[in-house]
Amino acid sequence: MKPASRSQLKKQGIIMVLLLMSCIATSSLTHGGDYSFGDSLSKNVACLACHGDQPRVGSKNYIEPTNFGHTTHAKFGCTTCHDAISSTHPDGKSIARTTGCGDCHANIIAQYFASIHGDKTTCSGCHNPHTVFSPEEISVSGMNKQCAGCHDNNRIVATHSKWLPQTDLHLGAIACIACHSKAENYVINIYIAKRNYDPDTTLELAGYEELLRRSGSDSLHYLIDRNRDSYISLDELRKFNHDPANKDLYLKAMLTPVKPTHDFQTFDNRWDCSFCHASGPEVMQTSYLSLPQQNGTFQQVAVEKGAAMDALRAMPDFYLMGSTRNGLLNKIGFLIIAGGLVMPVGHGFLRFLSRKNRT
Amino acid sequence: MSTKMIYLQPVPVRIWHWLNAFGIITLCVSGAQIRFPEYITLLGSYRSAIMLHNTAGIVVALSFSLWFIYYKLVANSLADIYIPKGSDLTTGLFRQAVFYFFAYFFGVPNPHHATPGSKFNPLQKSAYLTIMFVLMPFVSLTGILLMNVGPMREIVLLIGGLKLIVAVHFLLACSLTAFLFTHVYLATMGKTPLAYFKPMWTGWEKDEHPEAEQAHFQTRLP
Repeated sequence: MKPASRSQLKKQGIIMVLLLMSCIATSSLTHGGDYSFGDSLSKNVACLACHGDQPRVGSKNYIEPTNFGHTTHAKFGCTTCHDAISSTHPDGKSIARTTGCGDCHANIIAQYFASIHGDKTTCSGCHNPHTVFSPEEISVSGMNKQCAGCHDNNRIVATHSKWLPQTDLHLGAIACIACHSKAENYVINIYIAKRNYDPDTTLELAGYEELLRRSGSDSLHYLIDRNRDSYISLDELRKFNHDPANKDLYLKAMLTPVKPTHDFQTFDNRWDCSFCHASGPEVMQTSYLSLPQQNGTFQQVAVEKGAAMDALRAMPDFYLMGSTRNGLLNKIGFLIIAGGLVMPVGHGFLRFLSRKNRT
Repeated sequence: MSTKMIYLQPVPVRIWHWLNAFGIITLCVSGAQIRFPEYITLLGSYRSAIMLHNTAGIVVALSFSLWFIYYKLVANSLADIYIPKGSDLTTGLFRQAVFYFFAYFFGVPNPHHATPGSKFNPLQKSAYLTIMFVLMPFVSLTGILLMNVGPMREIVLLIGGLKLIVAVHFLLACSLTAFLFTHVYLATMGKTPLAYFKPMWTGWEKDEHPEAEQAHFQTRLP
C-alpha cells in the first residue's frame, strides 16, 4: 500500500475530530428527540440555562435552581416528567406532558383523591414539583402556608375558636395536618424564631443568612451545639436561651407529624383534646432542632430525649398540658398534698383516742 | 355556762368564703384532670375540664377581689384581722400550737376566743396571711397567664417560660389543696363538729362564756 501523503493525513485527522465531536453531541440525546439536555451528570443544566434565568423565561416558567437542585425530582432530571419536549423547543408552543404525579406516587394519589379534599385541587394546588421537599425538610409554618394558600387564616381562626380554647396558641404551634390527616406519631420540632413584641404579628423564623452570621462559623447548628457533637443537649438549649446575644430570638417548638398522610379530613378523635393532651409524657420525648439551610430547606438535629419535659427554660415557649408534665414536680406536689393530710389523719387519730377527755 | 351569740361573719365574707370554697374544690378536681388526663376523667372531656377550670378560676379571682375590697375598703380591718401582732408571734403561736398538738387531747379549751375584731388565733393569722397574700395572688396570676398565653407571651417568656409558670401554678395549687384538708379538719374542732361551719353559713357563732372557759382551761391542764 502506498503511504498516505501529509495532506491526506491532515484531511483524515479533521474528519476523525469531526466524527468524534458529533458522537459526543449525539450521545447526550437521551430524551426529547434531538434536543440536548446536557450530559448525565448535569442533566438539568441545559434546561436551567434558560429556566433558571427569570428575566429570560418570565416568572411562570422560572425554576429557582438552588431549591430545585435539592429536590428528589431534580435527581431524576427534568425530562423524566417533561418527556415530550420537541427538537424545536423553545418554539413558543405549549408542551404536552405524558407523565403525572401518579406515575410515581400512586398510593398517595389514591389516598388523596379518596379524601374530602380530593375534589378541591390536584397535587400542584399544594405542591410545587420544583420545590417539593421531604416532610422533615419543611418547617411547620411552611407546611401550614400550603394550606393557607386556599384557606383564609381569619376564617380558620374563627372556625376553630368556636370550640378550641386558646385558638391562636394551638394554631401557632401545630401543623394543620396533625389534626386533619391520619398521621398519629408526633415529634417536637424546635425552630429559631425572631422575637416580635407585637402579639398580632405572625411567626417569623430566623433565616439562614442571619443565623450563619450569628454563629460565626460555617455551620448553623454550632449556634446552639456549642461542643459540636451534632447533638443538642438540654444544657445547650438553656445556654442559648440565657445568652444575651440571643435576646431577639427565641426557640419556637411545634408539634409535627412524623409521617404526614394525604387523607385530609377532620377525624372524630381530633375533636377530643385528649388525643394530644392525654397522649402521655412518653410521646413527647423526641425533639429536633430544625435549622434553615441555604437551599430553603430545614435540617433536623437530634435533641436530648425529654426536651419537651424539661421544667425550666430549655424550651420556655412550649408546654402541652397533660402530656409534658414533669415527673419530679408531680412527686413534690404529691408530698405537699400528703403533708396536708397529716393533720386530719394523724391529729384525727389521736383525737379519736382521746375523745373521752373532751366529754 | 352562759352562752351568747356574736355576729362573726358578715354577708360579704360568707359570700366570698363559699364562692372561694366551691371554686377551689372545682379547681382542684378539674386541675387534676387537666394534669393527669389519662388517669382522671371525672368531669368528662378534657375540654370540659379546661372550660370548668377557667370558669372556676375567674370566679375565685373575682371572689378574692370581693374579699380584698370588703376587708380593706369597707370594713377597714384587713391588717387587724390578718396580720399577726407582736404578741402573736412571741407567745401566741406557741400557745396555740401547744393547744392543737398537746392540750386539746386533754380536753383543754381553745385559748383563743373569736370576736369580730379578732377572728383568728395566731396560727390561723399566719396561715391565712400566707394563703391570702402569697398563695392566692400568685396562683391567680399564674392562672391568668396560662389562660392568655398568646396575648401575654412576652410576659410569660420574661418570667421564665411556660414550664416555670406551670410549675409554680401546680405547686401553689398543691399547697392550697393541702391547706384545704387541714382547714376543713380544723373546722371540725369546735364544741361540736359543725360548730365552726354554722357561723360561716348563718353569720352567728355561739360564744361560750370566756371567764368560765378560762377557769376550765386552768384546771384541766395536766
